[in-house]
Amino acid sequence: MRSISRACTAAAAVLAMSLAATACGDDSGSGEGQAAGGKTTITFWDNNGGVRTPIYQELIKRFEQANPTIHVEYVGIPIASVQQKYDTAVAGGETPDVGGVTTSYLANLTGQGALEPADDWLAKSSLNGKLVENMLASVKQTTPDGKLYLVPATSNLDVVWYQKDKLDAAKVTAPKSWDEFFTAVDKLTKTPDQYGWTIRGGAGAIFQLLAEAYAYSGVNTFFDASGKSTVNDPKNVELVAKIAALYKKNTPEADVTNDFPKMVAQFTSGKVAMMHHNLGSYNDHVKAFGADKVDAFPLPVGLSGKRTVVANPVDGFAVFKNSKNKDAAWKFVDFLLSKESNSYWNQQTGQIPANTDAQGDSWLAERPYLKSAVETLGSPDTVVVSPPYYLPQFSSITKADTEPLFQKVLLGQMKPQEFLDTMAQKLTEAQEEWKKAHS
Amino acid sequence: MATDVIARRRVPARARAARGGMRGGDRGRIVRLYLPLALYLLFTLIPFYWMIVFALRPAGSTAPVPWPITFEHFETVWNDIGYAVFFRNSVIIGVLSLFLTTAIALMGGYALARFRFRGRTFFMVALLCTQFIPGAMMLIPLFTIFRGLGLINSLWSLVVADTVFNLPLSIILMSGFVAAVPFQVEEAAMVDGCTRRRAFFAVVLPQLRPGLIAVGSFAFIHTWNNFLFALMFISKQDNFTIPVGLSYTIGEYSADFGALAAGGVVAAVPVVCVFAVIQRYLVHGISAGAVKG
Repeated sequence: MRSISRACTAAAAVLAMSLAATACGDDSGSGEGQAAGGKTTITFWDNNGGVRTPIYQELIKRFEQANPTIHVEYVGIPIASVQQKYDTAVAGGETPDVGGVTTSYLANLTGQGALEPADDWLAKSSLNGKLVENMLASVKQTTPDGKLYLVPATSNLDVVWYQKDKLDAAKVTAPKSWDEFFTAVDKLTKTPDQYGWTIRGGAGAIFQLLAEAYAYSGVNTFFDASGKSTVNDPKNVELVAKIAALYKKNTPEADVTNDFPKMVAQFTSGKVAMMHHNLGSYNDHVKAFGADKVDAFPLPVGLSGKRTVVANPVDGFAVFKNSKNKDAAWKFVDFLLSKESNSYWNQQTGQIPANTDAQGDSWLAERPYLKSAVETLGSPDTVVVSPPYYLPQFSSITKADTEPLFQKVLLGQMKPQEFLDTMAQKLTEAQEEWKKAHS
Repeated sequence: MATDVIARRRVPARARAARGGMRGGDRGRIVRLYLPLALYLLFTLIPFYWMIVFALRPAGSTAPVPWPITFEHFETVWNDIGYAVFFRNSVIIGVLSLFLTTAIALMGGYALARFRFRGRTFFMVALLCTQFIPGAMMLIPLFTIFRGLGLINSLWSLVVADTVFNLPLSIILMSGFVAAVPFQVEEAAMVDGCTRRRAFFAVVLPQLRPGLIAVGSFAFIHTWNNFLFALMFISKQDNFTIPVGLSYTIGEYSADFGALAAGGVVAAVPVVCVFAVIQRYLVHGISAGAVKG
């Protein structure tokens, strides 16, 4: 009798779960663009779901109020898996209407014919002429046909974050040249309680290292006129050797495997005085120290005397070709890039708006590091070096192929010259292949 | 040897200490057995300790103990990140996959253990071979199939996919359990007038309890932890599961370690509870299922 009762309970539980699973089925017809209650539904995939979710929820609320006939369904995709998610969706024909996309994987998506060019929409939009020109150019460079498949929303810049009180205590001011920088790192190191610097030795190390190397050397292109990579330029090698020499002397030993969460965690724990990252980690620092205790300066000016900046991947929005409601999708993109929305988004994330009107908002002036970043990017004296995001192998070369080699450099098992020569050779070969394919 | 162990257990430690402290044998036992076990335990538990510390201490604190205690990270993951919904979804797919896997594995395992049929060995080898295929390789074919069936964005896609991936090992394990129950017992029941089905339910099934628990818990935990399918087959915010929610805490440029740790605690609690309840069955179950074939 007891066992029958247990079996009935189990069966009831399974039935209830089955009903719940069925109730949680796809009732939206994502991607089908059908009207629900007289409304057009569009799906939007956020390529950095989680942290930004509340920001988008607010913007979607505002958009739906302004456009009562359109319903936006938000889906947050974790950043670590966004490329795989897009690839699977493209292969399965279930792409969203609008998606957050960066130039890091834009070439991959356009290569699969997944995106709709936005040139015509932008030409007719009030946004025309309001978006930062070099960001638009950077997006167009990424694709072989030179079309605008991604509309930029935000600009980022590599900076050095520092704890104000630690620099004050050591009587150090924000360094302007690389010599001042290395002196400051030495002064700020008081092992084992405090390190002057932290090196990103794990995932994502190469981009940061290249940003430092080009800032130091002042080399202004990734490839010379003959198509040969410039990453093994003697001055770049010199900088890599100088950075590697800091390892363990002025940095924690664990840096060899540091990815950005670990690096940021080290900095926010208070043990590291200065850290190279970008504007995007602003909120973490404020949460850890308070807004008045932390500040940032751009990477120091190098040997050329000109500030040289390696362009970060451009982050923005793309309309997918499979969308059944492309006009509604563009309307949403247009709304997200409007002065108010773009300003709100960037204020919350601590980054630079792509909308030039939004760049004039007062909150930017209230944050000195951001004001300085805007000035740096906008200055005619700043040289912007664009990495070859258009190369399909760029991601694998700068991650899987060379990150372990940089770790060897830090551990003294490889010479900086050999490391950069290997990377340069791979980049040169990839560039040759790309040129052949698109000649 | 056995007598020695029993005798030593009967003498209270305090009495032994009063007789002149630890003997050489005790010290040897501590060095050989307890010390390595303690070190292993530390190695295992320290990450858990840190997870709890991060989850309970305020943001920005570097204290090695969670004091003052705060539950703000739990509030963040439960309310802001959406764990309330993700948790419900994980429970639904975990429980459904548990029942489906156990039921199908029971039938498959019984057939493999009790019947000799053509292709039986090949079927066993094929089941083993499926274990070598990573889920990521099957992603796009499965996606296409589920799309055709209208299961994309439905929790059923996860239930079906996870059950299918759970089944090979579960069937092999279950066949071992069934084989361990002597067929003569079943025959005796049939001689007494039971049909084969009745004999199975009345005589065999009660003896398979450790196996059912082992297979069910394996299915639940595997489904609970599956991130890849949950992210790839679902594109609806309200249908994501706990592992996807966990990955939300690491952004492109920022990481919320407090929320990550709190999410980890929430994700680990059901698994730890399942293990706590079934661990004695699990150990017995897996060893029994593994050695009989």
